[in-house]
Amino acid sequence: MLRDITFGQYYESHSLIHKTDPRVKIVLLFLLIIFIFLAQNGFALGFAAASVLIIMLITKIPFKLYLKNMKAILPVLIFTAVLNLFYGESGRVLVSFWKLQITTDGVSRAIFMAVRITLLIFISSALTYTTTPNDLTDAIERLLSPLKFVGLKNAVHTLAMMMTIALRFIPTLIEEAEKIMNAQKARGADLENGKLTERVKALIPILIPLLISSVRRAYELAEAMECRCYNGGEGRTRMKQMHMAGRDFIVLGASLVICGGIITLNILL
Amino acid sequence: MSVLEVKNLTHTYSGNTPFVNDAVSGVSFTANKGEIIGIIGHTGSGKSTLVQHLNGLLKPTSGEVFIDGENIWDNPKEIRKIRSKVGLVFQYPEYQLFEETVFADIAFGPKNMGLSGEELKQRVLETCKIIGVKDEYLEKSPFDLSGGEKRRVAIAGVMAMRPEVIVFDEPTAGLDPKGRENVSEIINEYRLATGATVIIISHSMEDMALIADRLIVMNKGKLEMFDTVENVFKNGDRLRAIGLNVPIVTRVFYELKAAGIPVPDDVFTVSRAVEVLKQIKAGGGNA
Repeated sequence: MLRDITFGQYYESHSLIHKTDPRVKIVLLFLLIIFIFLAQNGFALGFAAASVLIIMLITKIPFKLYLKNMKAILPVLIFTAVLNLFYGESGRVLVSFWKLQITTDGVSRAIFMAVRITLLIFISSALTYTTTPNDLTDAIERLLSPLKFVGLKNAVHTLAMMMTIALRFIPTLIEEAEKIMNAQKARGADLENGKLTERVKALIPILIPLLISSVRRAYELAEAMECRCYNGGEGRTRMKQMHMAGRDFIVLGASLVICGGIITLNILL
Repeated sequence: MSVLEVKNLTHTYSGNTPFVNDAVSGVSFTANKGEIIGIIGHTGSGKSTLVQHLNGLLKPTSGEVFIDGENIWDNPKEIRKIRSKVGLVFQYPEYQLFEETVFADIAFGPKNMGLSGEELKQRVLETCKIIGVKDEYLEKSPFDLSGGEKRRVAIAGVMAMRPEVIVFDEPTAGLDPKGRENVSEIINEYRLATGATVIIISHSMEDMALIADRLIVMNKGKLEMFDTVENVFKNGDRLRAIGLNVPIVTRVFYELKAAGIPVPDDVFTVSRAVEVLKQIKAGGGNA
């Protein structure tokens, strides 16, 4: 049951988006999100939606995986949409009760917000499905590297290393947690039944051994890293160098076209 | 009388991977009251998966497990009761310790069974007596103990539930020779005191030859052999073919025989070897 937790959702496939430089992908993700929220009218938003769908097709990731991510965010989506229903300032009044009224403007706001959030989830999923967690942290480190000029010389590398280690140990900890759960179950621990307070109490026999073994692992890892002369980011080179290739510029160009399209449609219509 | 019966047990791990295969397939065996059964097999042969079925931690994909003649999955809601009948000591059980004192940790299992007050206290003290946990340890933190002592306390935590069948997954892994001997003693003392059936997974053929009555040999999820220790270790070639071996002392006697010295090839323990060699000496080399 613990194994069902998806984290680092990389989905192996061979697509243009998979091969794109992760730095480019991160920058473009932010850019596209900003422009999705800049889309002011139906045409601009429709264009953005079509573009996102095309990107999703290019990734060759099964559509149901995208929908799976939507499921988790659905309550937020509905809540936001419903809230926006009542915020219409103008337009024809459709329904009115108590102090609230739903206008045509409110309905279009709600639809806009729902579409925007959906697109946001889809486009972020496209990044996490096509990029391994390690590539992501590498890219973040590279993107944040200018921070070293403002006195945060080691912070960037340390942060990236912490993220890499955290990601690396998630499966290990899940396995460990499963083992400990089984061991305590074998001693008659009841993890499934009982009131909420009882269930929280039942976690203690699992959390304490898990915490202790994490600390032990941390010491062991630190020692192993020191034995291999790890001393932080200074003078450290990488086995996998990131280079911008032709296809990265194509992806970059295509994205700029999408952004330009949204702006143009905003102004013209 | 058979306490535990496993019938045609198959377990398939169906993860998200396309490599679905049977971790355990079509395994059947029975265990009698008070006997020690050893399980041997190469890494990944399904030993650990098999034993997790015995107390209902895993549900068989197909096949049945009977304790005292009752199918343990007849009433899935009562599966926790099975866990006090069949105790399972995992590999490195000391990593499951969590209480503030040794006493509280040993009491965790019996408490989950519904024991309390004086009865609970008696149960813990009795268990400590059987396996030799000293009274002065009871108020200590389990985290202050040495590795071998931690293991002993963790094993006591399972034994305190008084299981009729107690299963050990590599109980001596990672211990020094003295610690290994201690664990073997504890297991035997518990069996003598309670008449429980013991099932042990081990990679040490020497230990198996010493303490087991019968052996289960697992190979790629299937039951390769299930027979007495003698009958299993007679098949040295078959064991080697699946990544196992016979005890070292048996190998010595194979070599002696190959060198033309007339010795028997059913020597599995050091004490038996001494006996055989004494006989040869007394008989002037014509044993």
